[in-house]
Amino acid sequence: MIEEEKTGYADIDRLHEKREIARQGGGPEKIKRQHDRGKLTARERLNLLFDEGTFCEIGILGGESVESPDADGVVAGYGKIEGRYAGVVAYDYTVKGGSMGQVGEEKATRIREIALKSKFPMIWLLDSGGARIDPKSGFGAGGGDTARVAIFANTGYLFKEESLMSGVIPLVGAMLGPGFAGTAYIPGLSDFVPMVKGKSFMGLAGPPLVKMVVGEEISENDLGGSQVHCTVSGVGDLEVEDDAACIRAIREYLSFFPPNCDEKPPRREYAGDPEALIDDRVLSIVPENPRGAYNMHRLIKMIVDDGCFFEMKPQWGRNIITGFGRIGGYPIGIVANNPMVYGGVLDINASDKAARQIWLCDAFNIPLLFLSDVPGFMVGSKAEKDGIIRHGAKLIHAVAEATVPKFTIIVRKSYGAGYYAMCGKAFDPDLIVAWPTGEISVMGAEGMVSIFAKKMLDAAPEEERAAMVAGMADLIKPHLNVKMAAAQGYIDDIIDPRETRRVLFRALEFTKNKKIYRHPRKHGVYPV
Amino acid sequence: MAVEVRSPITGNVWKILKAVGDMVEEYDLIMILESMKMEIPVEAPQSGKIVAIKVKEGESVIEEDVVALIE
Repeated sequence: MIEEEKTGYADIDRLHEKREIARQGGGPEKIKRQHDRGKLTARERLNLLFDEGTFCEIGILGGESVESPDADGVVAGYGKIEGRYAGVVAYDYTVKGGSMGQVGEEKATRIREIALKSKFPMIWLLDSGGARIDPKSGFGAGGGDTARVAIFANTGYLFKEESLMSGVIPLVGAMLGPGFAGTAYIPGLSDFVPMVKGKSFMGLAGPPLVKMVVGEEISENDLGGSQVHCTVSGVGDLEVEDDAACIRAIREYLSFFPPNCDEKPPRREYAGDPEALIDDRVLSIVPENPRGAYNMHRLIKMIVDDGCFFEMKPQWGRNIITGFGRIGGYPIGIVANNPMVYGGVLDINASDKAARQIWLCDAFNIPLLFLSDVPGFMVGSKAEKDGIIRHGAKLIHAVAEATVPKFTIIVRKSYGAGYYAMCGKAFDPDLIVAWPTGEISVMGAEGMVSIFAKKMLDAAPEEERAAMVAGMADLIKPHLNVKMAAAQGYIDDIIDPRETRRVLFRALEFTKNKKIYRHPRKHGVYPV
Repeated sequence: MAVEVRSPITGNVWKILKAVGDMVEEYDLIMILESMKMEIPVEAPQSGKIVAIKVKEGESVIEEDVVALIE
């Protein structure tokens, strides 16, 4: 017995050696190649991600060889970000191209379980060739060896689990390199997907398979690069310059979130007076000309603490602005129309983007601020063929369903169903106020005239019609102003724009204990 | 090092309000575009001196086109 123990301890030095071997990943040559591509290694990324000295690794001894482990191409574990735990699975491109092998997936499963049970966020750092098609440690055939082909029948648990984790703990799927096939649905099912510019790619199939299956010859970048996903498809949330910027974005994103759906988002210390008035420059933001667009980003920056606004999908669906900021230290999710792009109209992408932001904030108890200047939903045959009713319904469904504190500010116009979608009175805002420039109406004055005066206009000579419309519209316009809605008690108040931060700070405080109970159901039938 | 002022949207240049040599503050209006029946301001991304205006009134621009340079 004593002899056996001695033998076990004699292995201690060897244990440390083996860990050190694993920490070398694919070796100096592969690491150099990774650096030459302008990328960091998985372990270097984790050094930036976690507070110093807090990373605990699991499964470092994994891999094909017991004596010379390589962690099987996945660095897994947990560590602290600003003092709070988060789990991580970082694919190591220097080992077998960061491919998903059986041991690596065993480790990833373990960390997912730990993150879900202990209820802290889960982060994937993706830089992977996808599923390992290899007869020894992967999921396929090779060299006449077909014994492992059938293993695939018992895989796919990660996507099911990730789906069920959604809304329980925050999920981040960061793209720092390739992520085709298996590794593309990880970000697809995540809440936040930053992508490194020009270095990351995702797609359900990579270029070789695409060529074989559909005959299309296309580069990785044109198929699923950061530009494609952050400006065209909307799958990516943020295009970042390099690995370090990507890690910084993850840390900043998570700073707005509680560790799980049972907790409140963390309030950050704020040194200033959150009730102080915004300075007079806020009065010059909305131009006098109703056709004049203005910089809604600038307004947002005047409302949030220190002008710090973390924007989601800034290059996609730009007619709506979504993101996070703080007021008096309290995190707040923002949904704002952007009059600079298509007049801030709600089209299919804007509806999709706003609905996602609302569901995201509602899942994690982050109050929502709606800044409304919306001409309505997009109309016309193209919009209808694109399914604007379905996408618009998705946004309305999300706003209606959200039980977090909701605050609505009518900055300028708020017309038609756009008023509803931007959390109009019927959608239970905890605060609904307007700037003096606000207008609420079923539609704009000209639109109203064209309907109620159609017969009169049809009968008039064509050259007189425009003047007739303008004349009648001028009579209606004063009645669209929020003065009328305020006089009837439909909105809570008309505020001086300089009071905007003060009223929002007070609203964040008085809604702290808000709790809404809905009729029990499995879930709504989402109009997606 | 000159800073590029880019068009926020595809549209037509309606009015140019500043000229080469003018000093501007951050957020000052440099020109107004017309797009989707809206007047779209092009603002100075930072304070400085305008060293080039790259478009003329009536010209059409595409989103992200460089319309002016500030130094």
